[in-house]
Amino acid sequence: MTLILSIVLGLLTGFFGHTLRQRTQLSTVAVSSLLTLLAALALPRIFTDGNQYALVCTAVSYVTMSSTERLAKVWETLTVSLFCSVLVYYGQDVLMGIGGRLGTFAALAVLAFTVPRAHRKLFKKGVRT
Amino acid sequence: MCRHALILLPLVVATLELAGYLIGRTSSVVLLALLAFIIVLAPKGCRLGDWKKALRSALICLVGALASFLLANNLDLGPLMASAVVGLLGTVVLKEKDQLVVYLGTFIGMSSALRFPTLSLVVLAGLTGGILWEMLSETWNGVGGRLGTVAATAVLIVLLAFGGGLQ
Repeated sequence: MTLILSIVLGLLTGFFGHTLRQRTQLSTVAVSSLLTLLAALALPRIFTDGNQYALVCTAVSYVTMSSTERLAKVWETLTVSLFCSVLVYYGQDVLMGIGGRLGTFAALAVLAFTVPRAHRKLFKKGVRT
Repeated sequence: MCRHALILLPLVVATLELAGYLIGRTSSVVLLALLAFIIVLAPKGCRLGDWKKALRSALICLVGALASFLLANNLDLGPLMASAVVGLLGTVVLKEKDQLVVYLGTFIGMSSALRFPTLSLVVLAGLTGGILWEMLSETWNGVGGRLGTVAATAVLIVLLAFGGGLQ
């Protein structure tokens, strides 16, 4: 599994997930399930490490379940998708066999993006707390 | 505070693993102590508003977990496809809030059969997941991956308490 391909597939999943959320009436669960099903069916047939890439796409599909208050714009979803792809790539040996591990990576990526943004005043020069 | 402590449990374990600490017997004892501390705090910090609602969520989550686990392991669909199929079926037959609970259950059912050698552990984790869902309903709202984190919390609680640790 290569990091570059993981990121590319993660970004594609993030883009499709965001678009489906914005342009259709599908529920968050339907969008995530559809993306997961597509990834699990297609990627193992295309790549030798397809199962690993499917994990990346599945984790990113959980990112796209974020509310529009958290991730409103497509670039925000893509940035978090990038974080998430990298986390899944480097965290392959973490929480092995524990259900919910991909969701944990997704949540970590979303929080890594949204928490600093919500508290950006704290990082500005001259602002005292 | 208690809610955050609960939902952060998978992140604590992941950090320990990333930092290179093998989750062996000693670490399991430390994590079990942390879990006991959370459970002592839980009745004060994590108010469970309505037991009937919690029981309903627990049962829906259990159905999702069992369906996904059995599809993944007995029909050899694999965890990803099993979770997606059960999630999609849920969107057809359930209301939106219940869809989320059944999807949470499918995440629990994605656990490896090596972690859950018997179905009773899946049942316990499924029920725990539904109850946690109600307890943590106001935590991390709108954060994608929250369901997975709650699922991982439920799985870790069951493994630490009944499943012989994380080794």
